[in-house]
Amino acid sequence: MITDNIVFLNIVFLLLSGGVPYFILLEKSDSFSAKSIFIVSGFLLLTGVIISFFTDREYMTSFVLVSFFTALYSIYRATQTTNFYKLGYYFIFMNAPFFILFEEHGAFYSLSLLVSLLGIYAIASFYEKHYGSANYLYVRGITLATPLIGIHITVYLITIGLYPPLPNSLFFLTHIFNSEANALWLVIVITLYAGNFLVSMRVLEKSIFGKKNPNIHYVDLNFKEKITHFTIIVSLVLLSIYGVKEILTWA
Amino acid sequence: MGIAKKLDAIKNNIPHYWPIGSFIHHNPLKGFEHLSFRDGVNKAKKIYGGKVYMEPSYYLKFYNEGKISHDILEENLKKILEVDGLEEYYDLAMKCLIEVNPQWNHLRSCADSKDHEVDEDLIAYLDDQFSYHNKERWLKQITKHMTLYEINDILFYRDDKEVIEKSIIEYISRFLDEEQTTISMPNREFGMFETFKLYEDFEYAYDSTTFVEEALEKLHVKNKERYLLTHILKLHGWAGFIKYRSEDPEYYSQQKYPSSLMDYMAIRLYYELAYLQHRKINNFDLLHDYSLENAAFVILKMIKFKYNLPGKYIDAMEDSDNYEDILERYVQEELHLDAKQVHLSSDILKNSDIPLVELAKIMEVLREEEGYIWMKSLEDTYIQSFINEMDLGEAPQQERALASATLCLDVRSETMRRAIESSGNYTTYGAGGFLGFPIAFVEFDKAHEQILCPAVLTPGNIVFELAVESDEEYKAKKTINKTTKKVISDLKNNPYTPYIMVEAIGWIFGINLFGKTFLPQKTNKFFSNFKAKKPKTTYTMDKLSNEEIEMYVNKLHIHIISEALLSNSSKKYSTKDIQAIRDHLILDGNLSVEVPSELLTKLKENYNISVDDYKFQKQKLSKVGFTLEEKVEYLYNYLTMIGQVDNFPEFVILSGHMSVSDNNPFESALDCGACGGSSSLPNNRALCMIGNSQDVREEIAKKGIIIPDDVKFMPTLHITSTDEIEFYDTDILNYKEKQRFSIVMKEFKKASSIARCERIKQLPYTNNENDIMIKSMDWSETRPEWGLAGNMGVFAGPRESIKHMSFGNRLFLHSYDHKLDNENSDILTRIFNGPLVVGEWINLEHYFSTVDNTIYGAGSKVYHNVVSKIGVFNGNYSDLKIGLPTQSVLLEGEAYHEPIRLLTYMEAPLETVGKAVENSVAKEFILNEWIRPIIIDKKAKKVYSYEYGDFKIIKEF
Repeated sequence: MITDNIVFLNIVFLLLSGGVPYFILLEKSDSFSAKSIFIVSGFLLLTGVIISFFTDREYMTSFVLVSFFTALYSIYRATQTTNFYKLGYYFIFMNAPFFILFEEHGAFYSLSLLVSLLGIYAIASFYEKHYGSANYLYVRGITLATPLIGIHITVYLITIGLYPPLPNSLFFLTHIFNSEANALWLVIVITLYAGNFLVSMRVLEKSIFGKKNPNIHYVDLNFKEKITHFTIIVSLVLLSIYGVKEILTWA
Repeated sequence: MGIAKKLDAIKNNIPHYWPIGSFIHHNPLKGFEHLSFRDGVNKAKKIYGGKVYMEPSYYLKFYNEGKISHDILEENLKKILEVDGLEEYYDLAMKCLIEVNPQWNHLRSCADSKDHEVDEDLIAYLDDQFSYHNKERWLKQITKHMTLYEINDILFYRDDKEVIEKSIIEYISRFLDEEQTTISMPNREFGMFETFKLYEDFEYAYDSTTFVEEALEKLHVKNKERYLLTHILKLHGWAGFIKYRSEDPEYYSQQKYPSSLMDYMAIRLYYELAYLQHRKINNFDLLHDYSLENAAFVILKMIKFKYNLPGKYIDAMEDSDNYEDILERYVQEELHLDAKQVHLSSDILKNSDIPLVELAKIMEVLREEEGYIWMKSLEDTYIQSFINEMDLGEAPQQERALASATLCLDVRSETMRRAIESSGNYTTYGAGGFLGFPIAFVEFDKAHEQILCPAVLTPGNIVFELAVESDEEYKAKKTINKTTKKVISDLKNNPYTPYIMVEAIGWIFGINLFGKTFLPQKTNKFFSNFKAKKPKTTYTMDKLSNEEIEMYVNKLHIHIISEALLSNSSKKYSTKDIQAIRDHLILDGNLSVEVPSELLTKLKENYNISVDDYKFQKQKLSKVGFTLEEKVEYLYNYLTMIGQVDNFPEFVILSGHMSVSDNNPFESALDCGACGGSSSLPNNRALCMIGNSQDVREEIAKKGIIIPDDVKFMPTLHITSTDEIEFYDTDILNYKEKQRFSIVMKEFKKASSIARCERIKQLPYTNNENDIMIKSMDWSETRPEWGLAGNMGVFAGPRESIKHMSFGNRLFLHSYDHKLDNENSDILTRIFNGPLVVGEWINLEHYFSTVDNTIYGAGSKVYHNVVSKIGVFNGNYSDLKIGLPTQSVLLEGEAYHEPIRLLTYMEAPLETVGKAVENSVAKEFILNEWIRPIIIDKKAKKVYSYEYGDFKIIKEF
């Protein structure tokens, strides 16, 4: 009975956290845009996070392996896109193994990931509204033209890229300190750490640097948008404080 | 045409790049000077892709501030419209220039928010203009100046370019290294391509020319000349340096480690072939076929790579492979945006008469010409105000001054000259820092010679600096410093010791680090105590006799042989033996002493003890010093050149100049440009020695210049970063003269302070004189002084005509009195051949570094690293940075330097100037208007400007 329950929960979490690449089907469907896939996968992950707060978890290797292959494929897809929406949901699928593998720490890690992705979502909608698409390649030179947006993109991406002392890296570290390494653990942790870091840095380099595009009329954040981003950053700071506390508890 | 000729035909498109140690300002578009300025810069724009004028909004700001006169703008616009046959549209064009063009790009970005019925004729016209539906033409345009590996990267997600360029830079920076690395590349003496073969283990029997030819064949290149140019443009800084050294037979490193542009091309093509051999498309025929089959895909990829494809089309490319459809949608949107730009412009212009197609054509012409119209109008406004303000009357006779001071014509002397003139009874003159006196100078305790004259001249005389007092203390300190440096360097470069070194003595470096950062002045003073102070010196001014030459060459050879024998033989040789060996090797004398034949060969080959070297050394030493005739000639030429032939003051001060700064690879760019980026003190000091010589005065008196006995020529040095003046050779003065001269010294000190106070207003983050002093020793200071930024013109004429005018360090000032010139205008020709050439190089280097610092400049100093001791590059590898850094021409991202051509005011009769132009090496760039000649002919009471190939009277008085 207990085993069935564990299997069931693992299946639920595997689906909710993006451990299976359902985005492939959604991308082929005409009714789902990149934005809606991002919202759907984000919402499912949030559901998974909420459920995980109320359940005891124990991961099963086979499910971790499935999510790991999904993550590898997502890393590949993330390197092929220059659209913030797509990138957002690829990050969700890339980090699914952590959600499952990290057990109770995984919920906080994923929550923190969701908050940073909320930032990416806000940036993507801003791009879509002002530049016609959430694609960042055309809107280069952000640091020179609208430095505030550049700073926000940098913060969100380096959070996802597991830069300390931002919350994702702190929850990641907490799990490392609290778990026992085995071969599978090592492979997943190292690969996904490198995956998150390299994809984030690649996007950072292509999105915020470079010369300004003379064909673009650059627009800066309005007051409402500034408040939104400020709220996201405050949430990240609060999560960071909680993350530090978790590390100190371990120490 | 052979491949060598093809390379020759295009290599003029790249500028020379001199090593940064003797930074020589140059026109980056020198290769285009055979064309008129307008045509030259337009051609360069097509090749390099950079901007050649400032943005219209830059000039519009000046226009609104009144810095560009409306009448002048009107006149220039009319002239251009007349040339293009559009004079009837003057009103529209003026409105366009002021109201539409400055917001042209903005119109495009907001075009979609405005609703217009799009004119179909206009769409058809624009479609044809941009070749949107002629894919072959479009492909050709879009892949222009791209190598095959770059195209491959773009089409197939490769990153070969990064690896290829990195490999090339890695190799050439190591090959061209001038003792920056601790472990040098071996076998460099074989030449650049031959060494490369060893470096890459590449077995190839032929030379670089053959390899280039074969490589181009393998790549199926149709237009070989253009493809070579494409490769050159990839790293044009490095190509420029290789071109420079390969064309200078005197360049030491080139003699030792030969290189050529052809070698460089062979290396580039080797890597291109190596990386392309496993690629699907590895020659241009395959590319052509692929492009025709997948034209839409290729075009979209290229546009995306150039960051011109809007995001929604990039998204579409990710989601679908119907590229034809995506491209068509893109084209339609572009056409509508282009059309709406014209529609919006028409609205702003309130145009209802001119059909939109016509309007689009007019606006296109205007956009091409507007940069020139605005820039010329700015120049003309400056010219007009200069002519209105200058004194057009005859200069009154001057009373005898206490001292006259000749400073370099450099713009930085302008404030100083006004300050000196206002400090007492002084007159000032300006001349090229080398004073028309080209020398090769060997500084005390240095082994190499510095060429102290403009790069276009070759000095015929060598001057050595020798100590006249004991140099024991200097030598002792120098030895200690040298040993300390050597020990630290060895410890740093040893694989094991750095770890221990950091722990043990790392803190010592902290003193320097923190001291220089927080207390630069005190730290500088503290460390100067440890520096070896040069003893008093003099120069070798007289020619050596044949016996002396023989003796010195013999001494040199004996010294080299002794050193060689010590390190290559265990046997001890007496002085007599060494002399015998030398005589045997050089004079073919009998060898009485027994020396192994290998050792003799080594001495000949490795230590260069040969007949050739003997002849070379003799010839070099024969250039040391000057004959009496040469001395008289140089002094006479100098005095007549600046017009100082009578009424000599008690002290004739000749001032060299240099700049002082810390941690600044571009320091020599702030030194004297007329002395090849070095201090001009030696020229000034040597000429003073000549001027003080009794023999010379007697001879020069025969030529009509009588220098009274109480006149003393005194050398000084103007430190431009601090405006301090240092005095030299004051010990030649007697007690009474010293007392008189102390007045001069005191008043010049006051003048220094006045000049500094004036410069405080120009330099950012400078509030008092002390801040200026700190800038010269602060290692974090990226802008120790403005240098030559802001330069706008040159005046050649008597000081009296413009003495009352202030130019804020923006004008080169050369003294010239046309009444002293002969009928061939020899004096003015000399001014054109030296100072004017240097002035044009400086002006245009600043011009292009300002208008497009990415292409023609060096970028920000913050990212620079010195490479191979020849220049700087960004980070750990990049193209060699030509031109000036942003900190030299921009202030907080905005242009500090005003890019205009050199306004060359000459106070002389028109015929005199005409003859000088005809005889001068500067003829090409003068007649092609790369400078703006303005002739003030007081005799004819007219002022002329040379424009559009003709002299135009711009004022009669």
